[in-house]
Amino acid sequence: MKRHATNVVGFAVALALLGTAWPSSDARAQAGGLAASGLVGKVEGAELVLDKAQMPKTFNEAPDLAALVKAGKLPPVKERVSEEPLVVKPLHQLGKYGGTWRRGFLGPGDVENGNRINASDKLLFWDYTGTKIVPSVAKAWEMSPDGKIIRISLRKGMKWSDGAPFTADDFVFWYEDLYLNKDIVPSPISDMSADGKQGKVVKIDETTVEFQFENPHFLFVELLAGDTLIGGGQSVRQAQGFTFGAYSPKHYLKQFLPKYSSEDAVNQKARAAGYENWVKAIHVHKDWSLNSELPTLGPWKMTRPINSPTFVLERNPYYWAVDTAGNQLPYIDRVVLTLAEDAEVINLRAVAGNYDMQERHITLSKLPVILENQAKGNYKVRLDLALHGADTVLQVNQSFRADPEIAKWLTNADFRRALALGIDRDQLNETFWLGIGTVGSPVPASSSPYNPGKEWDKKYANLDVAKANQMLDALGLTKKDGEGFRLRTDNGERLRIQIQGVKALLPWPQQGEMIAQHWRKIGIQADVREMERNLAMTRVRNNEHHIMMWSNGGTELLYLFPRHAIPVDPTEAFMGPEYAQWYVSNGAQGREPTDPEMKKIFDLFRSAPGKKDEADRIKIAQEIWKILVDQQYGIGTVGQSPAQFGVRIVSNKLGNIPERVCIAQHCRTPASSHPETWFFKE
Amino acid sequence: MLAYMTKRLLLALLTVWAISVLSFIIIQLPPGDFVDAYIANLSASGSVVSMAEAESLRILYGLDQPIYVQYGKWMLRVLAGDFGESMEWKRPVIVVIGDRLWLTVVLSFAALILTWGLALPIGIYSAVRQYSFGDYVFTFIGFIGLAVPNFLLALVIMYFSFTLFGANVGGLFSPEYDLAPWGWGKVWDLIKHLPLPAAILALAGTAQLIRIMRANLLDELRRPYVVTARAKGLPDTRVILKYPVRAALNPFASTIAYLFPYLVSGSIIISLVLSLPTVGPLLLKSLIAQDMFLAGTIILLLGVLTVIGTFISDLILMWVDPRIRYQMD
Repeated sequence: MKRHATNVVGFAVALALLGTAWPSSDARAQAGGLAASGLVGKVEGAELVLDKAQMPKTFNEAPDLAALVKAGKLPPVKERVSEEPLVVKPLHQLGKYGGTWRRGFLGPGDVENGNRINASDKLLFWDYTGTKIVPSVAKAWEMSPDGKIIRISLRKGMKWSDGAPFTADDFVFWYEDLYLNKDIVPSPISDMSADGKQGKVVKIDETTVEFQFENPHFLFVELLAGDTLIGGGQSVRQAQGFTFGAYSPKHYLKQFLPKYSSEDAVNQKARAAGYENWVKAIHVHKDWSLNSELPTLGPWKMTRPINSPTFVLERNPYYWAVDTAGNQLPYIDRVVLTLAEDAEVINLRAVAGNYDMQERHITLSKLPVILENQAKGNYKVRLDLALHGADTVLQVNQSFRADPEIAKWLTNADFRRALALGIDRDQLNETFWLGIGTVGSPVPASSSPYNPGKEWDKKYANLDVAKANQMLDALGLTKKDGEGFRLRTDNGERLRIQIQGVKALLPWPQQGEMIAQHWRKIGIQADVREMERNLAMTRVRNNEHHIMMWSNGGTELLYLFPRHAIPVDPTEAFMGPEYAQWYVSNGAQGREPTDPEMKKIFDLFRSAPGKKDEADRIKIAQEIWKILVDQQYGIGTVGQSPAQFGVRIVSNKLGNIPERVCIAQHCRTPASSHPETWFFKE
Repeated sequence: MLAYMTKRLLLALLTVWAISVLSFIIIQLPPGDFVDAYIANLSASGSVVSMAEAESLRILYGLDQPIYVQYGKWMLRVLAGDFGESMEWKRPVIVVIGDRLWLTVVLSFAALILTWGLALPIGIYSAVRQYSFGDYVFTFIGFIGLAVPNFLLALVIMYFSFTLFGANVGGLFSPEYDLAPWGWGKVWDLIKHLPLPAAILALAGTAQLIRIMRANLLDELRRPYVVTARAKGLPDTRVILKYPVRAALNPFASTIAYLFPYLVSGSIIISLVLSLPTVGPLLLKSLIAQDMFLAGTIILLLGVLTVIGTFISDLILMWVDPRIRYQMD
């Protein structure tokens, strides 16, 4: 019932938008020819100036801050930006101060909307291409040759948004008083463990911190740069009830902890503020999106919380980055996000030109209408292509057991290959991606270092009905019923494979229906089951699904986000929940895979963190991808598209906007293109 | 009389309690809990959540306890006047609802006035001048109003206001007033935004009410007492307004029961389409997110208001219609 209501709205709004799209078949043709469309530009972005000699010596600031300095309410800018500010070279030109960046958000669950604007509060980050690790909060990093110690150097004189010094103590505070406190963090995280042993955080001096491990942890620098629990930064990892992210404002948060007064005192304080106990209270007090008093490090600090109709961020007067002329960033005064009750409303408002820059919640299927209103809405559309291989991948459950006959086929490599050959990916691409996506296997884009090589991009990804039929016949699935569907070998009934689809990032149930039509030609009956998301996930956890449709976004960095490529994380182990449990529990729970290829993947994946050289780790990842394509555990369809965060609507008033940005999970789109360097030209 | 009212009151209390239990159970019926919904939402929006994090959240929200314990804890707080904290909004439920409540009431009230102001005179006119040209026109419009789903109408109007006037789409405030503190400018801005949603909300109700009023009044107009009054030479308006209209209004008194919950919830789908910050979308979202205390409180509130509305409509009926009073004695 509840899903129906949203469906009605979604459908109806889509209908209304479609109405406006009818005259624009040329717009669609334009989108079809990607290269000619001019919508996909070259990847570019602001760069960091790391050469000390080129760093500016004098500093400048926004007029409103200058007025505060003059009035004696704020220290001079030179003291605020720290002694060693991060220097960012804006993409095109030095910007002007001022303006309000208008955006839309969907309510208190949409914290990522703000997190991603403020994501430069990570210790390390990626450059605009998403392939090179660069400094951010940390000035520099260094790993000991044995991989057991990772040393982080902080910026001298760097400050929190309230002006208090940001030092190594804030790391030790996070580690000892928050992370190790079982009331706040009940179980330790794997990011902080090397070969099963938890590491620790140690202060060396005011501006030097070390992460120390008993075993080598060669992946740790990548974890710090990635969108991981340890490396995500304060905004994303200490919001929404989570407490990770490596540092925390000690001078502010200690008042809410029993250690610094007493359990009674903090509980009393919590109850006075309307919370059940101090634990519940601190989860709100350390959440930047809910508590405007919390000191933060991002370019903008929150002034109106996310649980109100307008979520507002204002310039952080102590932001620690400057442009090449020494102007303190950010250029834009404030970010105002207005609440929309439904994502369709965001699309409509974006088309009306009500937002200055919005890529979140904009859907690819609306592209024709969005293009048509470019002039009227005074905006430009940019398409950013993802690096991951498949927006839609059919994940075949390898640990399925409920029906031995079905399990026999799901775990048969040739059966899966035949299914893969039976899909008409071009039709899917034309229908659901407006022809913009890239058809192929689930491997990441060829521009990614993890891509295993050209021959794997399209392997088993071309429509070949004859070959598929031949393979299925060879497997012994020769008997068919009157309608041409192949029969089970045990009881002679029709072989029915279930595809589980959730209407989430993409219209997966509808795509599933199209694939089911394709499979008729190879005599396979697919039952597409559209499900509410929770129900689908519950079925996955209970090992009840045959095939689950999902995206493999994030798997382009296999080690940082493997769960949608290989079953190593029980959270969403579509490819085999029992195997994932077996893997994470080191064999204590779940079930050991019998498939030698799957075991090989597990062995390879386990061996990677112990490899010192990045090149070796990349080689291992490529090996894993080769096995994945060869075995077709996940059947890729269409990917490297703008379907997720890739349709970007940019006001013509904004400057320093890249033609194309990295839209991967680890790029924290749009943060890796440095929103703090964007500005209003007029 | 007093015994009757006491009985009704006790029954009402029992009903409210049953509503609270039922709403709590219904919210729990779908698979998973708030944390599952929350994590699904996070992972869909490009955030990574691990099993360990999920477990810690579950403990934080007390979802690891059996459902009757959760219900008992909540009820104890409700009895103390504390409706708990919304898991999704991280604020007291009362505050979350309160923020939207009065805007909803303003909007629904405007729609209601519009509905009644249009429907009652038109209904009377249509009945008195049955089969006249005017009756046909109103009947035609009325049936169209009944047949067109409100949300479609909302979409069509939104589409034209965007393509023809380039108007700001949805919402109850212009962007420049969204952030402004309350003042005359903001009130005026609200008044300017009000007619459109109010008219859309009112339209279907108006059509329905016209038909009901017309049918009721037609029944009454043929009664002997009307003929008698006419025969005695009473002026036409007086005959109609004093007797048959009053009798025809009877069914409206009994619909007051549904009016109360309507006033606070508004229309969910229209509010979603027009992005109105009312209680309706809040209820829908809280159900999807399985935010138990928020959804439970809204449903409880709607239930209580229905019960109160029924109670009041009983009283009004007794007051308006002497026949009911006589039956009781």
